[in-house]
Amino acid sequence: MTFEATDTLYVALGGYALGTLAALLSLFIGAKRLQHIGLLLMIGGFAAHTAWIGTICARTGHPPLTNLPEAASFVAWLVFAFELALWIRYRVYAAVFFVYPLVLLLLTISAVVGENFKVLDPELRSNVFTMHVLFTTVGVAGLFIGLAFGLLALLQDRALKNKTRGRLWEWIPSLDICKTVSFRALAIGFSIYTIGLIAGVVWSYRTDAGLVEPRVKQIFAITAWILFGVLLQSYVSNTYRRPRTLFISAGAFVAIVIAILGIRG
Amino acid sequence: MPLILVGLNHRTAPVDVREQLDVPDPKLPDTTIALRSIEGVDGAALVSTCNRVEAIVSTRDEDVIANIVEWLAERSSSVRTDLEKHLYILRHGDVVKHIFRVASGLDSMILGEPQIGGQVRKAFLTAQELGTLDSLLQQLFDNTMRVSKRVRTETGIGEHAVSVPYAAVELAKKIFGDLRGLQVLLLGAGEMGELTAEHLHALHVKQVFVANRSHERAVELATRFEGEAVQFDRIDEHLAKCDIVVASTAAPHYLVEPHHVKRAREARRNRNLFLIDLSVPRNINPAVAEIDGAYLYNVDDLQQVADANLELRQQKAREAEQIVVREVEIFRKRLVAQDAVPTILELQQRLESIRTSELEKCLRKMGPVTPEQREAVELFSTQLVNKILHYPILQLKDASDEPHERDALRRTIRKIFGLR
Repeated sequence: MTFEATDTLYVALGGYALGTLAALLSLFIGAKRLQHIGLLLMIGGFAAHTAWIGTICARTGHPPLTNLPEAASFVAWLVFAFELALWIRYRVYAAVFFVYPLVLLLLTISAVVGENFKVLDPELRSNVFTMHVLFTTVGVAGLFIGLAFGLLALLQDRALKNKTRGRLWEWIPSLDICKTVSFRALAIGFSIYTIGLIAGVVWSYRTDAGLVEPRVKQIFAITAWILFGVLLQSYVSNTYRRPRTLFISAGAFVAIVIAILGIRG
Repeated sequence: MPLILVGLNHRTAPVDVREQLDVPDPKLPDTTIALRSIEGVDGAALVSTCNRVEAIVSTRDEDVIANIVEWLAERSSSVRTDLEKHLYILRHGDVVKHIFRVASGLDSMILGEPQIGGQVRKAFLTAQELGTLDSLLQQLFDNTMRVSKRVRTETGIGEHAVSVPYAAVELAKKIFGDLRGLQVLLLGAGEMGELTAEHLHALHVKQVFVANRSHERAVELATRFEGEAVQFDRIDEHLAKCDIVVASTAAPHYLVEPHHVKRAREARRNRNLFLIDLSVPRNINPAVAEIDGAYLYNVDDLQQVADANLELRQQKAREAEQIVVREVEIFRKRLVAQDAVPTILELQQRLESIRTSELEKCLRKMGPVTPEQREAVELFSTQLVNKILHYPILQLKDASDEPHERDALRRTIRKIFGLR
């Protein structure tokens, strides 16, 4: 039996699945130890995931962002990397209940679609293209983190206002931390995502002589951009506590997921 | 496990009895040495807190209990029979379980309180420095500290506040995270407000402003918290500077109204504001709670938080008790096994000498044998001896922690196998 380089994708998927299961179980049992086990499994999955991304880069000679499985996988990888960095910095336990399933979902999409690695047509290769895919992906990962922490901030605000504690009370860090991380992740993610979109428009103009093609991917990418912009504005104007924030966040999440699913080589 | 513990605590003795036996920190070394010098005591440590005094000794003679009780009675200048009513005496495994529970905060007046772990540690460290710990007590000390840490880490039993002032501080942390750099406004000089401000000050808030009807009292409190006394009629302007407001006055009306808070929030660019109203009648208009970013808790709300936390601690205490039971069993088995080592070694030597002498006789009778045949016979004899020894060794290692029962088992085995 030989071990194919692409098998690392399934190892990563296994690690993420078990890690997510352990983290979700810890929510019901209330055992931090179980969440630590979940984190270790996720880190194991992350190592395998990194190896898989490295394999794609080595084989194609460019970042793994040219088709849906590659893009979904890369977003998942970045989201977990950001989450890990934030966990080390703030020890935020509650974010894992949103972030781990998201990472698992994205990598599952990657594994289920199962398209082969795509080597980019040399004619399409350019720095602008690399910039487009890299910036939009990094931006999306930042926006996902911003959404997760924004949700935590809302939950914490409601719990403090209503003087009730939900299951997540113990796991959520202070309101200020949730709000600060959410705002910064959204602001940074939005800026990078915007640069990525602009680069995409420029690249599209150069290759197809058109600014934007009205396809599902493009329409939802721009819808997500508008919704994230509104969300960011609600932080700036300090109106993020209002119920509409939840609807905007949900809309932005759905739009960005559809945009990712719309990626075709 | 020849361990004995004689002591009293908040459940068995009233404060007037406890204070007679209390050992102040500077006297702890001398008192520990005095305990160790009691006839029959091999090793000694003394735990003394405001809620308990416990003498822990290792000894081979249970008669030492009477001497310890006598010594305690002398120290407290009370009649022995009067003191005995308040004392509890624990033996062997019960001592281990008790000390594990004490260090984990499971036997404390405030369940799970963290200070007791440090107090037990200090008692053992003092004894260690004085050389009054024998190897048994040293092992007990090491394991007690490990179990205490394990209980606190795995259950988080001491993490939640169970008093109103601490509950207020805990909520402040839930809103702001790190309290350093925050400014606090203390309105009034009520006892609970003062305590809350004290806890906040201990967590290094940047500044405490104190406003009170009596300005002198405000100055006094401000000096204590290294803060600033402000005029009572200038509360409004300080509200905008502060992140936490603690109201604890005797005023019969609201001192802080929604428009004050709205103005303050605007001035502080909508940063969160935590308002703690500990007064009855209340000093902060409840309508303030409707304002975005203003979190208002009154004394009942905080009491509910403290009660919920206590319930949580009780739940965690059940998990902690299970850890303690498992750890006591591990410790007991380890000690019993250690205790059995000399007998086991003797037993093995005895049977080995029988085996080798009988093997030689057997080989002589067999005449010339090949190396393979010799090896086979040797292997057979070794395996036979090991099988015979298996159950006696198992019994010795897994014996009761009651020294009498263990000695009886040891004697029986020694008799059966003809050991001296």
